[in-house]
Amino acid sequence: MPRTMKVESPGCPPLRALTFDELGLIKVVEARGGSHGSDPKVVERWGEPEPSRCVLAASIDDRKSNPLLAVARKCGTVEILNPLKGDVRAAISDVAHDGVKPEDDPIVGLHLFKSEGSDRTSGSCIVLTCTTKGNARIRHCAFSSSPDDSASTDTATLWKVCGAGNVLCSKVDASESYAVFGGKGVEVNVWDIRKGTKIWNAKPPPKNNLGIFTPTWFTSATFLCKDDHRKIVAGTNSHQVRLYDISAQRRPVISFDFRETAIKAVCEDLDGYTVYLGNGTGDLASFDMRTGKMLGSFLGKCSGSIRSIARHPMLPVIASCGLDSYLRLWDIKSRQPLSAVFLKQHLNAVVFDSNFTDEASLKPDPTHEAEDTVEDVQTGDVEAAKPLKKRKKKAAKEGRRKEGATAKDNGVDNLKMKKKMKKKRSEMGEGLNDQQ
Amino acid sequence: MVKKEKGQLLPSMMKNKEKRSAVHAELKHQKKLEKRKKIKARDAAEKRALELGEEPPPRAIPRTIENTREFDETVCKPDDEELFARNDADELSSILKRERTPTILITTSRFNSTLGPAFISELLDVIPNSEYFKRGTYDLKKIVEYAKTKDFTSLIVVHTNRRKPDALLIIGLPDGPTAHFKLSKLVLRKDIKNHGNPTSHEPELVLNNFTTRLGHRIGRIIQSLFPQDPNFRGRRVVTFHNQRDFIFFRHHRYIFETKETNKATCSKTKGTKSSKGENVTQEKVIARLQECGPRFTLKLISLQHGTFDTKSGEYEWVHKPEMDTSRRRFFL
Repeated sequence: MPRTMKVESPGCPPLRALTFDELGLIKVVEARGGSHGSDPKVVERWGEPEPSRCVLAASIDDRKSNPLLAVARKCGTVEILNPLKGDVRAAISDVAHDGVKPEDDPIVGLHLFKSEGSDRTSGSCIVLTCTTKGNARIRHCAFSSSPDDSASTDTATLWKVCGAGNVLCSKVDASESYAVFGGKGVEVNVWDIRKGTKIWNAKPPPKNNLGIFTPTWFTSATFLCKDDHRKIVAGTNSHQVRLYDISAQRRPVISFDFRETAIKAVCEDLDGYTVYLGNGTGDLASFDMRTGKMLGSFLGKCSGSIRSIARHPMLPVIASCGLDSYLRLWDIKSRQPLSAVFLKQHLNAVVFDSNFTDEASLKPDPTHEAEDTVEDVQTGDVEAAKPLKKRKKKAAKEGRRKEGATAKDNGVDNLKMKKKMKKKRSEMGEGLNDQQ
Repeated sequence: MVKKEKGQLLPSMMKNKEKRSAVHAELKHQKKLEKRKKIKARDAAEKRALELGEEPPPRAIPRTIENTREFDETVCKPDDEELFARNDADELSSILKRERTPTILITTSRFNSTLGPAFISELLDVIPNSEYFKRGTYDLKKIVEYAKTKDFTSLIVVHTNRRKPDALLIIGLPDGPTAHFKLSKLVLRKDIKNHGNPTSHEPELVLNNFTTRLGHRIGRIIQSLFPQDPNFRGRRVVTFHNQRDFIFFRHHRYIFETKETNKATCSKTKGTKSSKGENVTQEKVIARLQECGPRFTLKLISLQHGTFDTKSGEYEWVHKPEMDTSRRRFFL
């Protein structure tokens, strides 16, 4: 019997997530922490709606100073943006090579390398892209002061991942030296990025006694553990989830079924053995990969296919987004929905920005660069927010109803917002002083 | 419902069935008497006020489920530019912008039945530019490909169960969304009293109450089945009315007439969805309707993103039982 009484959702801890959708818009959703969490709202929207700029993949490198966000669009361009302001730092356009237009060979996987130190200060970054036909490329991109036309010194290390078939999923591991690719007709294979060689290839499970075998069709894959590149979890089109171990054998070590539609998104947890799966009908569940048992499913009103799941690097929160145009935030331990944000378009990807800090949890530290820029952005652009009552997630969306509508309320409410924030800040300041 | 204090004896607390039913009947009788008294008082007050020439006291608005519908943030707003952008970009826009004329292919599920073909022949009359092909034993995916090569814009599959049409699958082509509806309360033309015969003019389309984003998308799918240039002189209208997630389909021919009456009289109208005349003054132009064609109701089961593909398909909306937790929440 589904639950008919509404349960108070505990509210969202302060976080910031960026979502990417099919019209190329990037929306920034923030939940400010109050005394007990508050509801996330869309604070910014970057880009103009244009179907050829549909975002296919995104990757964020959220370090404290100079964070970057890479976005791959359908027209073949890869843009490097500043996730705090949204301005384009660099754009790499895919020149039609081999006579293949970028529309026919869309980018499937994208990874922005978190390389340290020297590269970044000089203003360049490394990006790995992989297209459907299997062309994987590493590019170094340097940004100049003008965003378009950066000298993308194409030290393009290009290699072909697969001969035939379409690559549908790719992931780079945490140590950034290995990448896994899989797809329709493409078995899971692991490449060493630095050397550009394939180090491991999977073998399909054996035919059953009737001689029937399902053709290979991997729809999502990820590395299981952040310090071990040898374990890989892959989800197939025939709703099967497989765990591969490179050091053990080429066939899957564990494989089990999950519901009835294709597994569209896989995300690993920080503890190294839990994964979150999302499939084509909107079911989200967490599994323990050591045993293959389901820990539980996330029940909420998710009615559309889940395209991407992201796990917050610090808080126990995951975000899922998909075709029902909602961004949903869930608590990991209790598997309760924390909130849902309606974002009007089919969503393709979501990433967390882990440097979002809120004044409630912050010691007065004005030199913290990320926090300052974030705050500036908020006081400028924040929408009219209704007073923070502790409400259920659905009812509290009234604040967002005003989005795109009358602007006459904005002025007054902005003032109120500023006053409230000032009051809060002074209260917090006093509180801290008292403690000391 | 009626709030009782804690001390009062509720009928549900009595274990003896005879006594309990007696007390319950008594309570209901009381309620009925009270209601009658209230209505009488209200009517008397209105009559008195009219006689005195004053305003009658306003009637209370009854509470309905549609009135108390839960606030839904996915309701489309008229000034939403993202909605327009999405409409331009979606798969149906080329038909709706009149760049292509819609052509429909109708077929059935694999095991055919007696009531199937009758319904299909009526559908062929209702929707212009449609053709019927026998199913044979082709795979639905192959049929989709065949229809794509022959340049159809939509494919409708009528599914039958227990010799009655049961479900409707509308697939937009080339890679349009697939909507799966449950079909019920089907009444064929021959079973409607005083029915009319439809002509072959292009019909006007009336889509009522598709407010949310999902409803808007379904509305556009239905709109893409019909040609976008209705022939008003043909006086033929097809109505899809959405109420509480059920879509009611009606097909009428109408005619405008001027009627001369004094007080409130009902004009001869069949079908309740369009205008009718309640005249207080002398002359008024009303529309008389004559129903023709079938009558049925649809309910959306699922909306899939690409063409029909149950295995690897991605669903934009699928009904799940955990969504039904409130009687006042509707999705279309």
